[in-house]
Amino acid sequence: MAMAIQDKMAARARARWLAAKAGSDARETSALLLFDTIAAVGFAAGIAGAIAAGSMQAWPYMVLAAGSGAARGLFARAAARKGAADAARAKIRLRCDVVAAALRRPAAATLTTGALMSAAIDEVEALDGFVARFAPARKAAAIAPVLVLVAIAFASPLSAAILIATLVPFILAMALAGGAAADQSRRQFTALARLTGHFADRVRALPVVLAFRAEARETVVLAAAANELAERTMRVLRVAFLSSGALEFFAALSVALVAVYCGFNLLGLLPFPVPEQLTLWQAFFVLALAPEFYGPLRRLAAAYHDKQAAETAADRLAALPAPAAAPAMAPRTAPPRLRFADVAIRYAGEDADVITGFSLDIAPGATVALLGPSGSGKTSLLHMLLGLAPLTGGQVLIDDDPLGAEGSVAPLAAWAGQHPLIIAGTIRDNLRLARANANAQDLAQVIQSTGLGPMLAHRPQGLDTQVDSRGGRLSGGERRRIALARALLTSAPLLLLDEPTAHLDSAAEAALIATIHTARRGRTTLIATHSERLAAIADHVVRLGGCA
Amino acid sequence: MTLDQLIARERRAQRRRLRQAALFAALVAAASVLLLGLSGWFITAAALAGASGIAAAQAFNYMLPSAGIRLLAIVRTGARYGERLASHAAAFGALAHIRPALFAAIAAAPADRALALGTGEATARLIGDVDAIETRFVRLSGPWGVAAALASGAVLTLLGGIGPALVTMACAAAVLILCYGLARRMEAAGAAVQRSEGALREQFSMLVDAAPELRCFGLEPWAAERIDAHSRTFAAARLRHAKAASGVEWVHATGIGVAASGALALALPAGAAIAALAALAAAMTIDALGPMVRAMTERGRTAEAQARLDALLTLAQPVADPPSGVNAGASIDFSHPWGARLDAGDRAALVGPSGAGKTTLVERLIGLRPCLPGVIAIGGTDVARLSPDALRGHFAWAPQDALLIAGSVRDNLLLARADASEADLWAALTDAALTDRIHALGGLDIWIGENGARLSGGERRRLSLARAYVADAPWLLLDEPTEGLDAATEAQVVSRLGARLDRTGQGLLLVSHRPGALALCDKRLDIAAGSAGAALAA
Repeated sequence: MAMAIQDKMAARARARWLAAKAGSDARETSALLLFDTIAAVGFAAGIAGAIAAGSMQAWPYMVLAAGSGAARGLFARAAARKGAADAARAKIRLRCDVVAAALRRPAAATLTTGALMSAAIDEVEALDGFVARFAPARKAAAIAPVLVLVAIAFASPLSAAILIATLVPFILAMALAGGAAADQSRRQFTALARLTGHFADRVRALPVVLAFRAEARETVVLAAAANELAERTMRVLRVAFLSSGALEFFAALSVALVAVYCGFNLLGLLPFPVPEQLTLWQAFFVLALAPEFYGPLRRLAAAYHDKQAAETAADRLAALPAPAAAPAMAPRTAPPRLRFADVAIRYAGEDADVITGFSLDIAPGATVALLGPSGSGKTSLLHMLLGLAPLTGGQVLIDDDPLGAEGSVAPLAAWAGQHPLIIAGTIRDNLRLARANANAQDLAQVIQSTGLGPMLAHRPQGLDTQVDSRGGRLSGGERRRIALARALLTSAPLLLLDEPTAHLDSAAEAALIATIHTARRGRTTLIATHSERLAAIADHVVRLGGCA
Repeated sequence: MTLDQLIARERRAQRRRLRQAALFAALVAAASVLLLGLSGWFITAAALAGASGIAAAQAFNYMLPSAGIRLLAIVRTGARYGERLASHAAAFGALAHIRPALFAAIAAAPADRALALGTGEATARLIGDVDAIETRFVRLSGPWGVAAALASGAVLTLLGGIGPALVTMACAAAVLILCYGLARRMEAAGAAVQRSEGALREQFSMLVDAAPELRCFGLEPWAAERIDAHSRTFAAARLRHAKAASGVEWVHATGIGVAASGALALALPAGAAIAALAALAAAMTIDALGPMVRAMTERGRTAEAQARLDALLTLAQPVADPPSGVNAGASIDFSHPWGARLDAGDRAALVGPSGAGKTTLVERLIGLRPCLPGVIAIGGTDVARLSPDALRGHFAWAPQDALLIAGSVRDNLLLARADASEADLWAALTDAALTDRIHALGGLDIWIGENGARLSGGERRRLSLARAYVADAPWLLLDEPTEGLDAATEAQVVSRLGARLDRTGQGLLLVSHRPGALALCDKRLDIAAGSAGAALAA
């Protein structure tokens, strides 16, 4: 009982979500579908009239039939176009939300890029059928059968009554078929997401897969995931085909019932008295139109898997973590004072804090080096400032503004991390990420001060050298220098550096330390490092882990 | 192997289901035409009999036609179910084989080409493009249905004379030709759908992977905008395609109307009952073209998907030599730039300023980059002539970026050697000074997230090192294994590595700037900036 209520509430929440996100205002499309039904009445009247009229007088009816057929085509075409346009708009809007959630996902979220990609593309695309077909079909299904029924009642009220009577079992069959498929559809999506995620990960990790000669083994694992997807898809389709088969069968039976009635009425052989005597025109009209009575419902049933796919996708999309709030920190130019008071950081699902009871006061413009064994939380502290790791205890004050649980100093900070982002494009594009309007002089300056000069001189195209998104053709040290160059391109008053001199030989390290020494002027600087030489330029050295 | 060959193979594998689907499709089409034709005739004939008086009505045989109608209705419903099930089962069965074959093709491609494929691009091909060629299987039964409909339609309309039959066939031909023309014109739109989807996936995975850094630079709106631009291009392409496809619906519906009225007009001289039969049979004949003309609208998407998949499949290069076994005593000879030789069990450091090409040289050694002939030889055989597989068997690699797979600690370690024992794994973790941390996490089966997201930078590095220890190769190839480790951990890792080398007799080729690690090595290979890098570059 409680379960049923819960299910019902979940279904209502999902319907609300779909209505809000998919913007299923399908009025125009469903109106076009209603016109299609009206044209169907015209087609039936034309065919029936032509047959009843005999040879010579038949031509106006034939024109009516052919014209109605063409009109149906036009309305169907217009409905498809309008539905597709609505779907395109809804998908663009929804994908924007998913992208925002993916880019601003909370720190250490368990979602892989593959799973997020599946959400942003496959699951958003799953709403296509819902918006383009199902929602208009559902609106039309409430009205179109009534139109057909009225037209049939004009010709034969009893036939109309028979159709109404058969509607009840038809709708029952539809509801039963729909429920059974929903669960299967959910599992199919899970299998698709798993396959996508698995594949994306193994392509990303291809270098190690190849180096350890594991490609054959990984192919076998992938084959198992692909097989699972095929099986799940077939299970969904078996239910879907069976239910649409049942509906088709029901519709055929109902039409046959009307046909038998019409036939016997025409023959005058009905075993009971009826208040109407049909003419050939009336009987043929009723018979030609009877399938159209179920047409809108069958169209709805055919779009039913669109609804299920959309609902499954809706459940998965609604479960995406809400994008972390945009940092509200007001930008400033003066170097800020940074105070940590009893700060604790613990990642979701971990048993212990990474950092606990950490207190530190950094004066405006001061440089602090964080030293400590790996795993002692140096990077976590920097990530916490940027809103990438959760602040689970204590307080951080920037000047006098507290950093909220979801807050970030990103608007004031320049950053060089351990895994610099390299985008596909030229080296210039990569540098300009930090400041889109940086001119040649700005670039030349940071290139000089980060020691990127020699490596650009080696490359015939210099700054215009193309790199791919894996950062191919760049060494680890070059990537670090690009990250540092980017940090220096911004005029942010807070400088956060995560192991800026890793991967460098001692000569290059010395050169870079000199650069950092200059760059930190006028900025509050926090450096996580293992290098004692780099730490030596700091005003304070804080040792984490064992000594903290 | 090209995609066509792959599809041909799958068609052979699925031929039983495909034959079933074709048979059922023909049954559906023929039953539809006969059902409607018979119903029209039945009603009209009953009306005529009823109008001719009670005697004629009594004499009218209603049993046989009405039984026929019921039978045809059941056959049509059952056959439609059978056709859908068989054709989709064939399609999905085939796709489940094609996907792994594609992954294998990527893995067998020259490493530099395979690695240049972005994750998003590769995923788009494996998922999106393979889905698009699904229609090549599902629609295979289409022509059989059309043939059956045309045959039964011709027979029924001929009852009304040659005129109705000719009109029906002419309408069918017109619909097919017009839809084919429309489909040809929308091929570009279909191809654009596949292309823009791939571009969207690529852009998404590139930028979402870098979400932390984007936040730091305040570049999230920029990234969202970039993805949104691709999202809009993709949506616009789909919309253009859907609009073009709706034209086919219009041609089809108009064809039904024209065929029905035309056949009716020409069959009227044969009597109202036959006219009704011809009209409805004509309408259903054209109706049965539906699946085939709708499949035409997918031509562009399918062709583009196939071209993209073919590009992937043809990357795979046939293995030139039969895989030669791993020679445990293999030496490494460098002819360029030093003329140095490393004997089995040697411990050598590869040093040089950053950017001089140390990592590049390492990647050449394990066949992730092509190597020119006459530069490096292993066990006396030129690396350029060794198959990547044979080459890789000689090295256990810990890459500079400590790349991990999404999965558990165990998954990552077993990647190096699938049959490693529990004891091997723990021994490797101990030597990488990681046992305590893995215990604290909860053991070998703990999920460590994408690329070890739940581990710190130093822990990822040590897990990658432990993975190299698990592999059974004569040479350890360690690229900055102690970078990012504190002095105490580094000292522990280095001393255990030394003990391990003494125990296993493996050779070591180490890239590092750290004096602690370099102390393990008795040989030094110095890549001088410039000349050496240039000489090694292909």
